[in-house]
Amino acid sequence: MKKIITLALLITLIMQSCTNVEEVVYDKFAAKEFYSTSTGADVALANVYSQIPGNWGGLGYVGADNGWYDVNSMSTDEQVVPHRTTGDWELTFAQMYLREWLPDHSQINNTWNWLYKSVFSANLAVDLLQKANADPSKIAEAKVMRAFFYYLLMDDFGNVPFYTDNNITVDKMPQKSRKDIFNFVVNELKDNVDKLSTTKGGNYYGRFNKWAGYALLAKTYLNAEVNTGTPMWAECLAACNKVSEGGFTLHSGALDATNPLGSKYFELFGDVCPDDETILAIYTKVDIVGRNILTIRSFGGTDGTNILGYSAWNGTICLPDFVKKFSDNDIRKHQFRYGPTPYGPKPAGFINYSLEVTNLDNPGAEPNAGARNQKFYPALPMNGGGASNDFPIYRYADIMLMQAECMVRTNDAATAKPLVDAIRVRAGLSGLAANPTLTDIYNERGFELSWEGHRREDMIRFGTFILAHGLAPAVDAHYNLFPIPTSALNANTNLKQNTGY
Amino acid sequence: MCAGLTGFAQEQFTVKSKVLDDRKEPLPGVSVLEVGTQNGTTTDFNGNFVLKVASEKSILRVRFLGYQSIELAANKFGTSVSLVEATSDLQEVVVVGYGTLRKKDVTGSVSSVTKENLNKGATTSPLQQLAGKAAGVVITQTGSEPGTSPGIRIRGITSLIGGSDPLVVIDGIQGNLDLLNQLPPNEIESVDILKDASATAIYGSRGAPGVILVTTRKSEAGTSQIEYSSTVSIDMISKKLDMLTADQWRTQRSLWGVPVSADHGSNTDWYGLLTKTGSTQNHSIAIGGGSTNFNYRASVAAILQDGIVIHSNNQNYIGRFQATQKALNNKLILSANLSGSTVANTGSVASIGRAAFTSNLISNAYVSKPTDPVLNGDGTYFTDTNLFQYINPYAVAQTVQNNQTVNKMFGSLKADLEVTKGLTIGWFGSWRKLDGNTGYYLPAASTVASAIDQHGTANINNYHEDERLMDATLNYKKVIGDHSLDAIAVYEWQRQTYNGNFTQMKGFINDITTYNALQLGDFTRINSGDISSYKNDRTLISFLGRINYAFKNRYLLTASIRRDGSTVFGENNKWGNFPSVSGAWRLSEESFMKRVDFLNDLKVRVGYGVTGNQQGLYPQNSLQLVGSNGQTYFAGNQITNFGVTQNYNADLRWETRTQTNIGIDFALFNSRLSGSVDVYRATTSNLLFNYTVPQPPFPFSSIVANVGSLLNEGIDFNLNAAIIKTKDFNFSVNGNLSLLRNKVLKLSGSLNGVPLNTDYVPWGTSSYLIVGQPVGTFNILQHAGKDANNKETIVGETADGLYDGGDRSPLRKMEGSALPTYTYAFSPVISYKNFDLSMLFRGQGGNKIYNSVRSSFSYFENLGKSNLLASAVSTGLFTSPFSSDLWLEDGSFLRFDNLTVGYNFDTKQLKFIRNLRLSFTATNLAIFTKYTGLDPELNVSGASAIGATGGTGFGNDNGIYPRISSIAIGLNVTLK
Repeated sequence: MKKIITLALLITLIMQSCTNVEEVVYDKFAAKEFYSTSTGADVALANVYSQIPGNWGGLGYVGADNGWYDVNSMSTDEQVVPHRTTGDWELTFAQMYLREWLPDHSQINNTWNWLYKSVFSANLAVDLLQKANADPSKIAEAKVMRAFFYYLLMDDFGNVPFYTDNNITVDKMPQKSRKDIFNFVVNELKDNVDKLSTTKGGNYYGRFNKWAGYALLAKTYLNAEVNTGTPMWAECLAACNKVSEGGFTLHSGALDATNPLGSKYFELFGDVCPDDETILAIYTKVDIVGRNILTIRSFGGTDGTNILGYSAWNGTICLPDFVKKFSDNDIRKHQFRYGPTPYGPKPAGFINYSLEVTNLDNPGAEPNAGARNQKFYPALPMNGGGASNDFPIYRYADIMLMQAECMVRTNDAATAKPLVDAIRVRAGLSGLAANPTLTDIYNERGFELSWEGHRREDMIRFGTFILAHGLAPAVDAHYNLFPIPTSALNANTNLKQNTGY
Repeated sequence: MCAGLTGFAQEQFTVKSKVLDDRKEPLPGVSVLEVGTQNGTTTDFNGNFVLKVASEKSILRVRFLGYQSIELAANKFGTSVSLVEATSDLQEVVVVGYGTLRKKDVTGSVSSVTKENLNKGATTSPLQQLAGKAAGVVITQTGSEPGTSPGIRIRGITSLIGGSDPLVVIDGIQGNLDLLNQLPPNEIESVDILKDASATAIYGSRGAPGVILVTTRKSEAGTSQIEYSSTVSIDMISKKLDMLTADQWRTQRSLWGVPVSADHGSNTDWYGLLTKTGSTQNHSIAIGGGSTNFNYRASVAAILQDGIVIHSNNQNYIGRFQATQKALNNKLILSANLSGSTVANTGSVASIGRAAFTSNLISNAYVSKPTDPVLNGDGTYFTDTNLFQYINPYAVAQTVQNNQTVNKMFGSLKADLEVTKGLTIGWFGSWRKLDGNTGYYLPAASTVASAIDQHGTANINNYHEDERLMDATLNYKKVIGDHSLDAIAVYEWQRQTYNGNFTQMKGFINDITTYNALQLGDFTRINSGDISSYKNDRTLISFLGRINYAFKNRYLLTASIRRDGSTVFGENNKWGNFPSVSGAWRLSEESFMKRVDFLNDLKVRVGYGVTGNQQGLYPQNSLQLVGSNGQTYFAGNQITNFGVTQNYNADLRWETRTQTNIGIDFALFNSRLSGSVDVYRATTSNLLFNYTVPQPPFPFSSIVANVGSLLNEGIDFNLNAAIIKTKDFNFSVNGNLSLLRNKVLKLSGSLNGVPLNTDYVPWGTSSYLIVGQPVGTFNILQHAGKDANNKETIVGETADGLYDGGDRSPLRKMEGSALPTYTYAFSPVISYKNFDLSMLFRGQGGNKIYNSVRSSFSYFENLGKSNLLASAVSTGLFTSPFSSDLWLEDGSFLRFDNLTVGYNFDTKQLKFIRNLRLSFTATNLAIFTKYTGLDPELNVSGASAIGATGGTGFGNDNGIYPRISSIAIGLNVTLK
């Protein structure tokens, strides 16, 4: 018996020394310690910007597919990826163009999820920067980013859930009215844009500086009537004038034989967006920081191989009603490829795309049907999954046309004329014969800003979005908003669907 | 009396006798051993033996497989002795975890399968040998890809996030299912499967999904042998899908407006090109021997598979050595085990595809148009440049390198010392190491778009696992009068460490070096994700105890308790307790039952236990951590983008499974009819799941937490009937049937005050987790027909095509679950003289399968780029925005899984051969099912990957590696 007791004691002793079950982490950082440093706070701000370049899975503002850009561009008259009679391309893109979208449309769902993931990231950055007593300009920057995401949410979905503090529960997160969101965006911007840096380019390339902040504020005012019912043209003009204080000019439109499309104008959509005109750009380096698929997605397979060195996707086309509006003298027309003598490189065996397209979904478009777009002529490095073109979210030509629009709408067309003319002259056209009308402004925006993500907003503001165009039928006014995605309604049963869906 | 006795010398004594079975038939080949010596012999063909022993008091042990051994003093042998058949498995010894019990003393629900009853043929995994052999144990083989193992579920799905695989214990070494792959099929002595909680509770937080205990073969004292066995099979594809022929495709092309240019004028059988007749070989040599104080067994095995898809094969070489030595007058027993294996696998590409269809390579062969040529005129692989990301599957099969080597080693040492009578202290240590390496090269010639873009992609992945375990045990056995007691106390420590690294390079100027010289790639193409490494570990510390108490051999009680602490549990829940209690009453031992003379054994068992499951928990789940998320651009630089990696939960803990089991074991009519019935009800609470959380306050939309609960209840029947039993002819049938009901009891609750409102969680294509319904319930839109444009329509759709597609949409109807509600198997066995014949039929039913392959291959919108099923013509759909019940099918099946015919040669005339057996096995001979896909036996693991919010292909057929039918010839030789 003694033996047993001794043995039992011995074992108990061993046991006590071997009861440590604390977890050791070898390959990650503990969040609390990491974010309490100023480096950590900076990284949180960088993380907000990392949401913007395009990534697979419908993430990002532009550059990859199935996300915000496709939803806001394919639903307009400027572009669509048709289903092909060869079986290529799912119908989701054509559904956007033909206004056949439903609440469970995958691209609309991706857009919603991306925007809310981005809002979360901005909330986190605001919180961490404030706790770290960071430079006020950085706190302001994070808040302006958040306002940017809410602006996009309001623009696409109307009444949306709102929160600025990540530490609340879902029952305290109301679905705010479109007007309330609008007011939040305006107030947040008014409070913060002046705190932003005035530096252009360099460390602030691809970031919200003061001028980008005012450009966003101007956009918000520009669309005030759509969002709140009350126009704010004077406020918009004032905000645009603030942007002008940044000293922006139009980039050159001079001929340039070294440019594949023949003009310096297309440098605006190249590897680095030039500082003279660009107000806010998205930095892109294929597969490392986002990607830009806009041209490779458009070209036919062998055109990709012959011109770019990578098989292209035979995807996006521009419909004839849109292409035909461009004057042949307009250097901006060089963005299109079609017919036997297209703009841009013409290697042996290049494809002769027909301008006409008769069907988008069933049975689909013929393989070579539809004009292609090369506005974002691929910048190196590139591969079959995209190129490295940066993307201008805001540039000065847009601001000038916004100024002109405000003037025309407030019966000051004469002041608007030189602004519109400057843009036309840069494109190789003559100035307008008379003072610009709203239609002139609308058309000029289409020529200048095609494929830059502004078209849906413009068409809604000018009342053309729900009208028939190209192969798309006229639809009810409720199509001016997208439906709140089914999965969001599933996750939060308190959400109310937009009228009509 | 003692006719055979002849006093030869004073200290020598000769025993001459004959060994008979209970029908008085002579038994040849019976081992007779003088206990305590190596002096022994075997009986001849007429059962006779002669053995000179030390004295008339010497004890002789007479042993024969399938019979109860006897030990008798030399002078007690008459002209003959009879061995009694061990027909009633109630006499057998059962391994129950940290010890053994005689089956008659078992109080929990345990299924035992001995090596004679394992499935025969060219098996490559021990699980294949067990399929259909135990009630409530469902073994599912999805396709027949070389190197893949079947899945197993014991009494249903116990967990939702990856923790339903049982614990495997081989001779005390604990591990996951992969541990079984290190075991040559020939080296299994017996398998014991612990099914109910009262049996598995001894394994605490790893016991909930059940436990498979494997005992390997050991050499017997007094024997010395060399054994060779070999099985070689020819493997054929059991079923092909009926796709459009080239001519049929052409007819459809013109009907559906596909341009003539899409027809490249060939007539190619892509499926035929990518498949061939395969083979499986299984060879092993074992040597062994022993004396009373020492025994050893060593074996070398090779399992070689050549798959039915070209360039897919697997070679598994396993070496084992096991030795036991007794010392200190048999008070100390030391056993050592060492096993090493190396696996070389060449895999078919597992995931490849175009935008619309991604599956394994062989399923892509179905998609390829029969009118496309394989090669261009210049001998290069054909691609259709007019199509987005065309894939030539033959080019992929021929050019992609996908090789894996895995080296595994495990060793263990067990020492037991009897300190005083009945008290034993023991120590057990095991160490398992796994070093894996994969090399992958996707050349531009493969025609895969990404490879063309990158000029070839090569990567190497190294991964290492290190699992150590240490037990200290104290065991006490005592019999006092009618009371017998067996108690054990254990301290256990185990740590598993995982680390590895991944390196990828792109941009090769040619394909010569494949993945063997990454430095030859283009460094400018490196981006984040091309280089990574990881390390994590988990430690589990346990204290456990168990008492087995028996009174008068008929009232049995078992109680156990285990306390587990684990590093993967959250800060606030580091330790958990897992108790169990069970009792049994052997009615047949009661005097009032003795009069019932047809009753040989009757036992009633009742058990209750609490077990845990922590397999679904991975290291680091409970912590808030920051990791890298690629790169971003900020302040003029490309920088690492750091971000929070997950929602963390400091309350994270094991799942708790409480199970009640009531069972009856019986043996009737001279044990010719025996069996058991078990009824159980098991509830998993604190159900681990990726619960949907509001985003905010969480950075991710789901969090691993313990909130819900899940119910499994069922009945397991097991019956063995020796219907005919004569000298030359025997006919018996073994069968089992399991009825299972699964139900999600609860998914919602609250987490730190945040209400979790989880229900209708998508779990597969149109299948869900719905409270009150089985896991994976199909809640699906109803197919109505098609509109004028051949677009599918559903019931409830408005005229302008609007419908509510939400998860809770009233348009959805519940149409059954992916989980079978019943599984069964039966196995007739016939023997006639030296011939034997056995069959295995196996089936399941009550489940549905969503046939994604059929829907993917049925829409004419894809005709221009892919081939379609012949059945698509009559369906006639251009497109569909829905996943409707048109593609939902009945998953019931009955498979004629195995037929083995064997012949045991008479070896009495042979000088060197003791046993010689020749056998033929055919597998997967026939299947009876309404399912139209390749095979209804699919992944029904119920699992979802950690971090994923949905199930992983649960109940969905997205294309499988084809299943084989095979014919095998087997040879077994044991030398004298």
